[in-house]
Amino acid sequence: MKDDTETFEEIALPYLNAVYRAAVALCGQRQEADDLVQDTFLKAFERFKLFQPGTNCKAWLLQILRNIRIDRLRRKKIAGEALPLEEEIIAERSHDNETIWSNAEDLIENFSDEQVVRALRELPEDQRLTLFLIDVEQLSQKEVAEITGVATGTVKSRTSRGRAVLKGKLTSYAKEMGLTGDKI
Amino acid sequence: MNHFTDEQFEDIMQGEDIDLTHLKQCQDCRNRLAEKRAIAARLRLAFSSTRAGTDLAKRIRSRLQTTAAPTVTVQPTQRTWLSRRSRQLWPALMAAAAILIVLVPLSLYFGAPPAARAAQAELVKIHEHNLSPDHEFYSEAEPGKLAEYFKSKLDFDLHLPEPGHGLALRGCCVRHFRGEVVGSYVVDTPEGVMSVVVVTDKPESLGIKGEFTKGQHTYWKSSFAKCDIVSVRIGDYSYCAVGEVSHEYLTELLSRLLQREQE
Repeated sequence: MKDDTETFEEIALPYLNAVYRAAVALCGQRQEADDLVQDTFLKAFERFKLFQPGTNCKAWLLQILRNIRIDRLRRKKIAGEALPLEEEIIAERSHDNETIWSNAEDLIENFSDEQVVRALRELPEDQRLTLFLIDVEQLSQKEVAEITGVATGTVKSRTSRGRAVLKGKLTSYAKEMGLTGDKI
Repeated sequence: MNHFTDEQFEDIMQGEDIDLTHLKQCQDCRNRLAEKRAIAARLRLAFSSTRAGTDLAKRIRSRLQTTAAPTVTVQPTQRTWLSRRSRQLWPALMAAAAILIVLVPLSLYFGAPPAARAAQAELVKIHEHNLSPDHEFYSEAEPGKLAEYFKSKLDFDLHLPEPGHGLALRGCCVRHFRGEVVGSYVVDTPEGVMSVVVVTDKPESLGIKGEFTKGQHTYWKSSFAKCDIVSVRIGDYSYCAVGEVSHEYLTELLSRLLQREQE
């Protein structure tokens, strides 16, 4: 008969890469992401009895990850460290471009993966996680609403705003690289 | 026909059943949708090669093996009252008033008695703030330390649930409710996250009027926005459990507080 650890590993560890991707999206730095992932799985193991078999384990893990991340941000705030910019500040800056990218090839050719991840990381925390979960992990709005503890309408607006801000960031990068014009 | 809204675009991206007639006729909306899809695809590609290192998987497995079965320290229930001094520490009335300025029109919108709806909206707002990283919160799972926190902030100890059996404390904070400083804590449950807000007002005055009895105790329940609310009187206080959790489970949590009260 399997013990708790074996059962946990069998159910939760297959989502290690998904949790890790989310941690990278949130933290950026590998060491910090590693620590966040490890803490997430240890916390999940502590609470494994709360997990209901048959429900969405990936979403459950991502919710734990988010909570740990929030706790860490709060500690940083108490310690006086800088926190991600407020949504409004970044959103304002995103209105200054009208470039339309209708072809993913333009985006693929002109920006490196690192630049795209960096642009994502410059989004406010909640927009970043929401956009990541919707576009990268392709979770449903309802699942993301449960993970982030908001209504689905908020998920929609955060996704839309996040994508607009991301586009603004990439446009800025393009200008820095000397890629100007109506289309890149 | 009007252009698609951002929300409609998100629904289209999610594969929701949306009337796409406008899209066929509108180049502008087609461009916007193509751009959103391009950005989503580029994001996916950027993370496609992101994988956890094998050393991380090994480290987690190793930690799991060495982690003993979860143990929970149960602290005795402590109980005191809000001191006069703490009651005088309410200079943040302006902040609460600002909240009410927002909430009163909201309650009018919902067409219910304004004061009652505003009170419930405030309870839900406290719950939302408890879950938001932008608001002060004391993250701690130990009931003893939470009790110390309330003692230091409010000179007030309140009933906390016994962790275990599916419950885990996440932390606590002090918030403003109807111009008063109140204590609140967050509990993780198998059904979701809930906040318990302890206030002096009686449930009926908060518009929580769905009276019912469980065991020997009377409870009150209501719903506001996406949250359910259940309240019970313990001593001179109303313990209001709030969250996207069923009334039944909120009641279950409060009944555990009452059991501890009787012990």
